Amino acid sequence: MKTPLKNSSTLLALLLLMAFVLPLFAGEYLIHIGVLVLFYAYMAVAWNILGGYAGQHSLGHALFMGIGAYTSTYLFTRLGLTPWIGMWLGGALAGLTGWFVGYLCFRYGLKGPYFALVTIAMAEAAVYLVNNITAVGGAQGLEVAWTGSAPLLMQFDGKSGYYYVILVMSILAVWLSSWLIKRRFGYQLVSVRENEDAAEALGVDTLRVKIQASIISAIMTALGGTFFAQYFTYINPRNVFGEGPSIQILLFAIIGGLGTVWGPVVGALVLVPVAELSRGWLGGSFAGAHILLYGTVLVLVMLFMPNGIVGLYEKLRGKMKSYRSSNQGSEAS
Amino acid sequence: MLVVSDLRRDFDGLTAVHDLSFTVEPGEIVGMIGPNGAGKTTTFAMLAGFLTPTSGEILFQGKRINNLKPHQVCKLGLTRTFQIVQPFPDMTALENIMVGAYVRYPNTTDAKHKAMEVLERVNLLHKADTLGKNLTLIELKRLEIGKALATEPSLLLLDEVASGLKDAEVDNILVLVRQLNKEGITFLIVEHLMKVIMNLSQRVIVLDFGQMIGQGTPQEVSRNPAVLAAYLGKEEE
Repeated sequence: MKTPLKNSSTLLALLLLMAFVLPLFAGEYLIHIGVLVLFYAYMAVAWNILGGYAGQHSLGHALFMGIGAYTSTYLFTRLGLTPWIGMWLGGALAGLTGWFVGYLCFRYGLKGPYFALVTIAMAEAAVYLVNNITAVGGAQGLEVAWTGSAPLLMQFDGKSGYYYVILVMSILAVWLSSWLIKRRFGYQLVSVRENEDAAEALGVDTLRVKIQASIISAIMTALGGTFFAQYFTYINPRNVFGEGPSIQILLFAIIGGLGTVWGPVVGALVLVPVAELSRGWLGGSFAGAHILLYGTVLVLVMLFMPNGIVGLYEKLRGKMKSYRSSNQGSEAS
Repeated sequence: MLVVSDLRRDFDGLTAVHDLSFTVEPGEIVGMIGPNGAGKTTTFAMLAGFLTPTSGEILFQGKRINNLKPHQVCKLGLTRTFQIVQPFPDMTALENIMVGAYVRYPNTTDAKHKAMEVLERVNLLHKADTLGKNLTLIELKRLEIGKALATEPSLLLLDEVASGLKDAEVDNILVLVRQLNKEGITFLIVEHLMKVIMNLSQRVIVLDFGQMIGQGTPQEVSRNPAVLAAYLGKEEE
């Protein structure tokens, strides 16, 4: 529940400043990595509200990403509607879907692995459904037509425009996430994760808060989906609804620190460069070597930091604290 | 305050609670005893909204609460503690209690204020920043009461709140319950420790095989032949 780095607001301001000026100095490739880091940080923060705070591990969050990506892209390519508006329509549709999935699962008490399975099934069903809808391109997907530099259509010349869009989205997402966790809603979400029966006995409407978390998380994820479509200018059912994005999103949250405000950001910040750089260095020499390295890093992190990077940081900080106060005679455990 | 009439709960052909009727008046401390499997826990679960009765009726302050969920019952002013303590392990003691406080104080500042008051009440102020998983059993038992207190109940159900504690710790809990009762909270307690029941309750309800086999003051109940038979076995051999 504690927000680490809270006291180090100067550090935060410095990092923000660095993030804002990065495109002025960096080349296109580095900015591209920056975009990926921010995109996955954003998505992981969105996932974390349902998966981390409320402890409901969705393994099919690509469902919402796909809804966002497809809604805005369809409206853009077929009707010329700017993605700046389309993304909110996608968000609304995803929110509705998030409500439906949440209601369906939580109303009937699905928990843990059972909830996870249903979310996988939903996302997978969406892949096949969209595969067969020719109006949205079927299995071939949709291409976002390049119209030149047009910020009003969320299209930019070069990568730094996209970089700033996703930077602002990430900042807003972290702000929302840290705001939520400090309020009644946040406490209730965490209490549901920690002990649902006890939460109910203390007046928490567990069904309602879980569904609300599902809706918020779905809307945020869908907005990210629109950004994904605009940045990569191509989507197909597998790459936005598929298991790939579903797993990646939650990986960063888990590695960084489940249920913490900054965990998802830290996870993306550490892992995305590892993945990208190792692909650049090793991709040419040994086929698959970079995936091996990436996998090794994941295993090591999980082995030695079961609570993620931020979890380890908090534990060390807690140890320091109790070490200091143990001099005053308080117990060591 | 609480009127229970003809309450019944079946589990797949097994009747755990059978035509149970009793009342709890405002300001009372009522004890509920009975051998293992007598239906005490099932009764508690129904009163607090965790189980729906098969038939019968539960009236709390004139409202029928049979089909309400626990959080709704809690908002009406009836809540419970759990026999096996149920803390939120990764939240601090303060945060644990704040979850309960939020029921009456939606604003975080107010909820925190209320929670600090409660922490002091249950003598956990010095543990405010300790995580639930790092508290000792006696602290967890007090936290369990504190969480429930924070919801400002008018009727509090205590499920074996003294079990597993040392003598001095049990005395602590007794003092706390009596104080809270003086301040206007009504209690229904399930307890195996006779010391607790005999000390606290003004009235005792005795269950066996899901039915009430006797009630009265602690002294009356301890002389009731049916109750003695249930506890000690019938003198047939």
